[in-house]
Formats: sequence, C-alpha cells, structure tokens
Amino acid sequence: MTEPKCSHLVAPELLPGLENFPSLDFNLGLETIREGGLGQQMPEMPPELAAVSCDERHIPGLNGAPDVRLLVYTPPGKASAPRPAVCHIHGGGYVIGTAEINDFGNRAMAVEVGCVIVSVDYRLAPETRWPGSLEDCYAGLCWMADNAGELGIDASRIAVAGESAGGGHAAALAIYARDKKGPAICFQLLDSPMLDDRTGTDSDPHPHTGEFIWTAERNRFGWEALLGVKPGGADVRAEMAPARTEDLSGLPTTFISVGSLDLFMEENIEYIRRLSRVGVAVELHIIPGAYHGFGAAGMSPQFVQVTELRNDALARALGG
Amino acid sequence: MTKPHDRPSSRHLVPPELAGILENFPHVDFSTGLEAYRGNFIGDEMPPLPPELKAISCEERIIPGPEGAPDIRILIYRPQIAAENPGPALLNVHGGGYVIGVPEQNDLANRTKAMKLQCPVVVTSYRLAPETQWPGAVEDCYAALCWMQANAGKLGIDPERIALSGESAGGGHAAALAIHARNKLRQDAKAPKICFQLLDSPMLDDRTGTGSSADQHPFTGEFMWRPELNQYGWKALLGQEPGTDTVPEAAVPARVAELADLPPCCITIGSLDLFLEESLEYARRLTRAGVPVELHVVPGGFHGYTLAKHWKLVQMIDDIELHALARAMGVKLD
Repeated sequence: MTEPKCSHLVAPELLPGLENFPSLDFNLGLETIREGGLGQQMPEMPPELAAVSCDERHIPGLNGAPDVRLLVYTPPGKASAPRPAVCHIHGGGYVIGTAEINDFGNRAMAVEVGCVIVSVDYRLAPETRWPGSLEDCYAGLCWMADNAGELGIDASRIAVAGESAGGGHAAALAIYARDKKGPAICFQLLDSPMLDDRTGTDSDPHPHTGEFIWTAERNRFGWEALLGVKPGGADVRAEMAPARTEDLSGLPTTFISVGSLDLFMEENIEYIRRLSRVGVAVELHIIPGAYHGFGAAGMSPQFVQVTELRNDALARALGG
Repeated sequence: MTKPHDRPSSRHLVPPELAGILENFPHVDFSTGLEAYRGNFIGDEMPPLPPELKAISCEERIIPGPEGAPDIRILIYRPQIAAENPGPALLNVHGGGYVIGVPEQNDLANRTKAMKLQCPVVVTSYRLAPETQWPGAVEDCYAALCWMQANAGKLGIDPERIALSGESAGGGHAAALAIHARNKLRQDAKAPKICFQLLDSPMLDDRTGTGSSADQHPFTGEFMWRPELNQYGWKALLGQEPGTDTVPEAAVPARVAELADLPPCCITIGSLDLFLEESLEYARRLTRAGVPVELHVVPGGFHGYTLAKHWKLVQMIDDIELHALARAMGVKLD
C-alpha cells in the first residue's frame, strides 16, 4: 500500500485512530459495513453515565412514513425546572450508523449540560431517498416540542446537534424548521458536518484534506445514495443540501468544529462565512492535524479540547 | 459611534460582557491626525502586577536595525529561571493599525506568556507608517529575529524553537515576517527560522474595507476597527491607495501567492471583527499550501475584544493560544 501522503500532517496523538477505524470501503457492500458498525471501542461506562436513562420510543413519521425510532436520554434526578434539550442526529455518511453509535457521547452531553437528548434513528439511504430522513428528523423535533411537558423540557431551549452526516441533517433540519415555521431551534451544534454534495466532485480538490476515513469517493457515494442523482451537478436542487441553500438568514446560532485535514473543512468554513454575512451568530474551531472522525483516537488532547469547546458552547446557548 | 449608512447594526450580536469595552474605549479617528494616538494609546490597563508577573524581568535593549536603517528598541521579558537552556523563545510584534503602538502596550500579556512558557519573550518595536513605508517595518522585525538567532547562546535560546506572535497589525507584520524569513531561508540555509506563527486578529489584506459597500460584510467592522481606519492604515503603510491593482503582492500577506513552507499557524479572530473573512481565507489558503493550521472564530468578538479580560471566552482564547504556542515550542505547561 502506498504511504499516505498527508500522514506528516496528522497530529501524532491521532495516528493510532487511523488504525482503529474500520474500513469504510463501500465497494465491500453496505450490508457488510452496516453489520460491522463503526467499531467504536467504548471505554467502560462510568456510573454517572450509566445513571442517565435511555428510553426507546417510536413516534409516527411524517406524511404516513413509517414510525420513527428515537432514543431519549434523560439525566438522573428530578430537575427543579424544565431542562433544555438537544435533538441529536448520528452520522454515517447518510448510509450507515444508528442512534446507538453516539450512546456514550450523548450520555456525557446529557450529564455535562444537564439536558434531555433525543437521538433520531432516521431511515438510511439509499433505501430511503431525500427528504425521507430529513422528515424523520423533523418528526423527532416536533415530537420533542409537542411533548415538552412529559419530557420535562423547555421548548424554547431546543438545540439541534449532529456529527458528519448527522451534522448535515441537523443543518438541514434547522433550515426546514425555519421554512415550515416549525418548532424554534435556539442553536445548532455541528461537528464536522456534511453540508455540500459538491465537495469531492470539483476539479480543484484540496490537496491535503479527505485522505483519511472520509474521502471524496465516499462522499460522492453517500450523497448519491441520499439524493438519487449524481452529486455536484445541476440536478441537485438547493433544498437538498444545506450548503446550496441561498437564504441562510434567520437560522439559529451556529457552532462548527472540524479537523484541518477533514474533507469538510473548506465547505464548513464557507458555511460559517455565509451565515455570518446574514447576521447569524457563529463560532468555528478548526482543529490542527485532525482528520474526519478523529474521536477514533480516544481521549487525545485534541478530542478533550474540542469536547470542552462544544460543551461550553452548548451550555452558553442553552442558558446553562 | 458612527456606522456606515444602509448597514444593519451588529450591536445585538455583541455579548453583554463586552458592552463595557464598547462604551469606554475612546473613539479612534485618524482623520484628525495621529499625534493624539501615538505612545501607549492601546496600553494594557496597569493594575498592580501580581508577584508572579512582577518577578518577570523586563529589560530594554537597543539592537542593530536593518542595514542603513536606525537601531531598534526591543523589550526582553524573562522569567527568573528559564525552564530550559537552551530553550524556546517568543518574538512578539505589537499592533496599532501599522501607524501607532509601542512594545509596552501588551506588557501584561507578554509577562504572562514569559511566565507560563518559562522562556524569553522579545517584543520588538518597528518604524511606524506613514513616516516609514513598506518594507521598513517588516525589515525591522526581521532584524530583531536575526538578533535573536545571532545572540541565541547568550540569551539561552535554541534557534530552532523561536515562535512568532502578533495581534492586529502586529499579526499582519508577523505573517509578513514569516513569509520574509521563509524567502530568506530558501536562499540561505543559515538564515533564522520560525517554528510557529500565532496570529491574533491579524491585519492581512489591504483590500478589506475597500470596494463597493455591496461587497463589504454587513456585520463585521462596525466597532473599534472600522473600514475607514483600515484604509488609512494600509494607505500609510503602502504609500498608495489600498485595494488597487498596483499594490505589490509582497507587501500584503493575503496577496502573496505562494504560501508553502510557512511555519504552522494558529489564527484567532472575533466573528464581528473586520478581519473575519480575510482570516478565514488566509487559513484556508495556508491549508491548501500544506501548512498546518489551527483557527478559532470567537462568537460575538469585535476587533479588540481581548481587552475584556473578565470575559470567559477571552480566557478560553488565551488558553487556546498558550497551548498552541507551548505545543509548537515544545514546552510542557504546568
């Protein structure tokens, strides 16, 4: 195998993660990869995280779609006041992954911020094309708002959050909810979000991003599976990809963190720039030497740093 | 405080913790001349220094300037005992729109860095514009860097571990110095090296704030450092109208086409800072050139927000910057 050309740019603490990550070669077939899971090697669950309750719920889908499965995480103990909440959406290139893959992270977020988290187990592509999964997420969001009392949440403090394709869904959900005049979203916490089908199709690719874990080829695969058309072309309508949305005004305060070697780095910078231009409050952190999914390297200094930044931003946004 | 016509205000995007700065910072207007602003205008508030910062020595030295140019005044901050000998060192360049400012103005921040990094911090003065146009100031900064290398033994410095930092116009000069030093190093392997560049709200691009108002970012540059001040500063440095085709590429970091082989870079910038977009673009272009990059956009920060020492996000950014420097310089923080 040829030596990866950008490995000198990877932070030394993150190199082990490259070995840990399971192969995402979609040529092997999606079933094989879905069965393999994303290979999260989770440390043993500490008691304070195990104390977070996780309830599985099934709610009606939008417009007669199948029921949507949700995981509802509630911090232990009785809250003195309604809690803020996060509608969380997992990643996996739009084609793999389940709500379970972020079990550890969601429990930690629930405890750290004192919020209820609802993770949406949306229908995957290519079996379900756009906008099916987006509508699943919207159903989850509406359910949270409609059942705020039962869930013990403050419907005026609901954020959306997601990593990778989950971040793409979260961004799309914020746009969708705005346009439908749906439930108010106070914040979008986007971790290396997959926002732009054109990334990985252009004639001038970034020479140093997208070498590890999530490549241009996988990105094209994921977007084509979601959209049902070749990504990057005129067939893709603006509503199908957050980065193509023309009017970004009125969207919630946005936080993005992304690695400097992540395929999505440039599209994420551009999204933040465009949001700032229409008066949306923005925060951006580019983590040096970090590839897409660098959490695979465990509790590296980079992971600790970005987790702190994210939790801090979330706490600020939710009035913590 | 005036704002351009037909622009929405960004005031609602300013966090309440920063309101005091906006209300108390004097309105800067260079159209009446620079005299009122020369000297330690932006200087850190000088409350009594806590003992650990008082223990940092601050020595003024006069060192040779570039050939044919005047000597340069520098300040050297040093902890009582450096952690390592030879060890790393930091060269800091002060800001002031290219036209004002003195090395003393960041006394608190520089003492703090010397203490936390346990190494010397050299703060260089440079000839200000418009009296001195490009490339005088960057050559002064380069002379300071050369002096550090030439006196590394006496100063206890490892010349492979000299990092560079600057804020605002100091960040612009720092970026330009990094480019200049790279170019010199390509011609002469014995030229001084820079291991890292920390650019805090850097002034990188003369084109920012010029052009039609339709091109201008509607929400940045309303407070503290405004487009007209930016045009003034760049015009003074360049000796010609900024934002035009006759501006030499070498004089403006954002215009330099070739960014390969520059030192790893950390940029921090407020989301309301006039320099937001040029910072994003410079960071992006550095990554394309294979330069390791770290970037942090601080929500609600206007230019100069770091004056708000009590604000949690300033503490966050100070911490991020310190860690970035420490990592690059091989320093283990306490």
